[in-house]
Parts: sequence; structure tokens; C-alpha cells
Amino acid sequence: MRAGIQARLLLTTTLVLGTSLTLAGLVLDRSVRLSTLSGAEEQLRLVIYSLMGAVETADARLGVPDPLPEPRLRQAESGLYAWITGADGSLRWRSPSVVTGDVGPPAMAGSLEPGEFRFLDEPDAQNGLLRLAYAVIWEDAGDRSGESVLTFHVAADWTPFRATIQSFRRNLYVGIALVTALFVVAQVLAVRWGLRPLRTMAQEVREMEEGRRQRLSEAYPVELTGLAQNLDRFVAHEERSRSRYRKAMEDLAHSLKTPLAVIRNALERVPEDPRTLLTEQLDRMQSTVTHQLSRASVTGPVIVGRPVDVGGLVDRLLRALTIAYRDRPIDVEVDLPQPCRVRGDERDIMEILGNLLENAFKYTRSRVRIGGAVDGGLTLTVEDDGPGIPAEVRRAVLDRGTRADEVQQGQGIGLSVVAELVELYHGALRIEESGLGGARLVLTLPVARQTS
Amino acid sequence: MRILIVEDEAELQRQLRDKLKSGGFVVDTAEDGEEGLYYGREYDYEAAVVDLGLPKLGGIDLIRRLREDDRRFPILILTARGHWQDKVEGLEAGADDYLTKPFQMEELLARINALVRRAAGYASPVMSSGPIALDTAKKELRLNDDPVELTAYEYRVLEYLMLNPGRVVSKAELTDHLYEQDFERDSNVIEVFVGRLRKKLDPHNPIRTVRGQGYRFTEEYAGEGGG
Repeated sequence: MRAGIQARLLLTTTLVLGTSLTLAGLVLDRSVRLSTLSGAEEQLRLVIYSLMGAVETADARLGVPDPLPEPRLRQAESGLYAWITGADGSLRWRSPSVVTGDVGPPAMAGSLEPGEFRFLDEPDAQNGLLRLAYAVIWEDAGDRSGESVLTFHVAADWTPFRATIQSFRRNLYVGIALVTALFVVAQVLAVRWGLRPLRTMAQEVREMEEGRRQRLSEAYPVELTGLAQNLDRFVAHEERSRSRYRKAMEDLAHSLKTPLAVIRNALERVPEDPRTLLTEQLDRMQSTVTHQLSRASVTGPVIVGRPVDVGGLVDRLLRALTIAYRDRPIDVEVDLPQPCRVRGDERDIMEILGNLLENAFKYTRSRVRIGGAVDGGLTLTVEDDGPGIPAEVRRAVLDRGTRADEVQQGQGIGLSVVAELVELYHGALRIEESGLGGARLVLTLPVARQTS
Repeated sequence: MRILIVEDEAELQRQLRDKLKSGGFVVDTAEDGEEGLYYGREYDYEAAVVDLGLPKLGGIDLIRRLREDDRRFPILILTARGHWQDKVEGLEAGADDYLTKPFQMEELLARINALVRRAAGYASPVMSSGPIALDTAKKELRLNDDPVELTAYEYRVLEYLMLNPGRVVSKAELTDHLYEQDFERDSNVIEVFVGRLRKKLDPHNPIRTVRGQGYRFTEEYAGEGGG
């Protein structure tokens, strides 16, 4: 089965939405990280400036007197560290916050030109520090030359910045997830709302099929109006052409059969010699006309129509046949399941049932039994206590199309017509022996289709 | 016996009329439903043959209207289409049997005879009453199993009376059912036929004279009825 429209729409929106929101998330994430880093750099730069303002030299020693410009520089392991190195890279000062020797100024600082800032925007892998260094020409550097290049190093612990970024990230992704969920729900609702006219149409078409509705309602959105109108027109056209065709067939039947009857009757006055031949040929024509016309006037399974009530038709036919066969006392038993329906054209079904029942009435001695079962399809059995149909002619009785003139008149032209009608309905007709002694005709028809 | 044929096809109508006449019927013909309805209401028939595809008034409507008017004679329908829908509707409207065109004339005659007989309450083609047995298929009278020769008119008188057992049948009614419409009605002829019949049925006399009214077929065979 192909994916439904609803699934297609949902899949597409979810994919597009998911991708774009994820991209937006990544961009946001990246810019937050960058801005956090530049904020950190700015902080470190301020620390360097304030250090530069506070540095004093006495006795060739470089120092920063208390109070230090940044209290965290004095507090051990506070996460903010400062160093001052000389032009030769020697350590001239370090902040009290630096306790252990394994935190030191990075070697790279030596290559700095005076006046140059260098920011390490990746936290130091070893101890997770962000570093900023600044080289400056210092006049009173406290050594003999009197003028030297000092490099100020500052390092800050990355952890608090990372925490900021992570909490932002958490909020961001929760937000994105919420927005996505909201969109999907809205999408589902929109799709359902949008597809509702189609569902309504499907329902109405089903009602038309079952004959509970003549045409589609008018209340369709503009996109479907054309389709609905075409469907209506198609159904109406189908019905019209069906009845036109049937009418033509009936006219043809009438205009062929009446002259045939006239000719046949006129033949009675014709001398023996040509009469036998003419009668024979007339029999063939009559048989062919009757057979072909009954076959041609069949509609076959219909698209639109009420399921045919087989039980009701059997009752009607039995009442009619009882009138016509009033002379013979025939005991009729009917045992049909309720409801007993098939989808089809009522007149076709009536032809099938009428011929089957008439056949039984014609050949029975005194009993006719009609039974049925609904089991996936409808099975109808018609039995009589007549002479039955010998196994060797059963095939010929049912298969008349090829040998229209060979089977005995009266040996049920009806049954071969039934067999063909039944075939059109994708059913089957079997001839068996009945427990009553005569023939047992077993008709199977597909039951009224369950529309899902 | 009088029969009505309602058939619009002229040639078929003619053939039906010829066949039924030779079968001993007095035949009226109508070409459309309205004419058929007129005849059916106006005259008394033993049976009618009605084609379903009639102009002006369809066969089924014709039958329905006749039955509404309480016309009870048996009706055989002829259908060209041969659809069960037609047959069932016809029978539901009040017809008694059906034939699909084209049909054999012999079959038609047999069916009509059966209908007429059935309407009179006889179950077999041989109407029997005591020692009298009238074979409607062979048009033969047997008296205690011995064949008795009858002329066509004598046969018809006996058949009509036997179709209406116990009922008084007037001479005018007998004339109606024995002769074509335009026949000059001479009740003496009827008396002659009845007289000859009585002689042939002797010593049994099932035909009683009801003075001033007509004849009655009875199943009491003893004694002599009035002249």
C-alpha cells in the first residue's frame, strides 16, 4: 500500500522542520560560544590593564602591592591567575592565587611583539584555562637596562564559562524540542482538517454504492468541486447508458422474436418437405436469438446500487411460480440465512434465480428445496425430486454458448444462461445429485462487498 | 368458449385467432391495451391472451385494471423479452401463466385449455363427472369409457356447461360463448344442440332445464329433467 497523504505531509514537514530547527540551534550554539569567549577575553584584558596600573618596581624587584586590583588574584586556586615575565622569559611576578608550579605562563608568550595581545580561545587542554597575554615596553623594569619588554599573562578557569554555555544549550534544545512538538501537533490537526472533505467524499461514495444516496452533497471545498461533479456525472452517465443499452436490447428482442413466432406459426401450413428443414433452421435462429439476447441484456456487477435482497426475490419468484404451476401440488421448502444479499443488478439476479427456480418447478415431481449459506460468499442450493441431470450431459447443459443448437429444447436453455450470468458475477454454478432424488443446483455468488 | 386476444402485431394476432378458432374457441381480438380493456369489461370470457408490450395501455396495467373490475377469467401473458421481472410483475398483477415468444402454438393451446379447466376446478385435462368424461385435449366425450361422437357445437355446449357446473347458464350466455359476436342469436338452435346432447348422453341426463332461465349442469344423474 502507498503511503497515505496524511503520512506524506507529516513526514515532509517533520523532516523540514527538524532540519531547519537543528541548523538554527547549531548556529545559535556557535554564536553563544563565540560571544562567551569574547566576553571572557574582555574580562581578562581588564585584569591585565588593572595589573599594569598597579605594578610597582622597587630594588630591582617587580611587585604588585596589596590590595591587588582583583581580589581573586590573591585567593589561592581561585580560578584567576596572573604572571609577569621579562624579555628573556624569566618569571618576574606571579599572583598569589598561583599555588602550585604546574600552572605557569605558557612558553608562546616570548614571541609577542610589544603592544600585541594574544588570546588562546581554546581552553588549555591540560588544566582548562583560557589565556590572554600582552607584551609592553616597560621603562622602569627594575633591571639594569632600565627599559625592557614585560609580558603580562592572565589565565582564567574555563569552567564557569562552560557552565553558562551548557545551561544556554540546554534551554535551547528544550525550546527547539517544544517548538517541534507543537508544530507536529499543529500539522496533524491541519492535515486532518484539510483532508476531511476527502473523507466525507469517501463516505458519500460508499453510501452511493450501497444505494443510500443518489449523488454527492454540494458542500465541497473549491479544490474538490470539480472531482465531485465529475463523479456525479460519471455515475449518472453510467446509469443512463446502462438503461439505454437495456432498452435497445429489449427493442431488439421484441422486434426479432415476434417475427420468429409468426414464421414458426406460418410453417404449420407449409408442406412436410421444406418444413422440416425450415423448422430446424428456425429452431437454431430462435435458440441463438434467445440465448444471445438474454446474455447481452445482462448488466453484470454494478458500481452503484443497493445490495440485492436474495431472500425477497426468492419469495416473489416462488409466489409467481406457484401461480403458474397451480396445477401441480409442489411442496416447497425454503431455508435461507438472514440477511441474504448480493451486490448486483436486481434484474440480473432475478434472471439467475428465476431460471433456477423455474427449472426446479418444471422437472420436479412434488418437492423443491431451497437452501443457502453465507460464508465469504453466498451459496444457494435448489433441489428437486425430478429425474435429475445425468452426469454426462451436465457440462453441455451449462455450456451452451458454443453449441447453441445442440442441446435438447427444454433441457433448460435457462441453465446455460444462468451459468453465464453467474460467471459475469464471478460466481459459479454446479450441477449435483440431490438427496431428494433429482438435480441439485449449487449457485455461489460473491456476497455484497464490504467497503472498508 | 369465448377468448380474448390482445396482441398488437397483426400477423401474430391473426395466427393466434386462427389457431384458437380451430381449437374450438370463439375469439375476440384487440390491438391495444385500451381496446383490450373495453372488451374485457364488456364481455364475459373463459380466458384471455395478453401480450405485455402493448401500445396505449401496457399489458400489465391492462391485467391490473381488469382484476380491479373483478374480471376473473384466466389470463395468459405473452412476453417477447422473457425477463423474469416481466413474468413476475404480470403474475403479481393477476395473470395466471406466461409464455415467452417465440412459442409453439400447440403449447399455447394446451396452456389455455389447462387454464380454463383449472378455473372451473378440474385438475386434469379430462373433465369427468360421474360416467361422463370430456377430454379437453382430444376434444372427445366418453360415456362409461365408450367414445361418443359429438359435433363441434355439441362439444362446445357440453364443455361450457361442464366448465360451469351447478350454475344456471342462460341461452343468451351460451350463444355468446359459442358464436362470434355478429351471429344472429336464435335460441332455437341452442335448444336443438341441447336436445341432441341429451340423446347422446342417455340414459344419464346431467343437463337440467331451469324454466325461463336456462340450463344447469348437475352431477345428479337420476330421473328426467324438464323438456
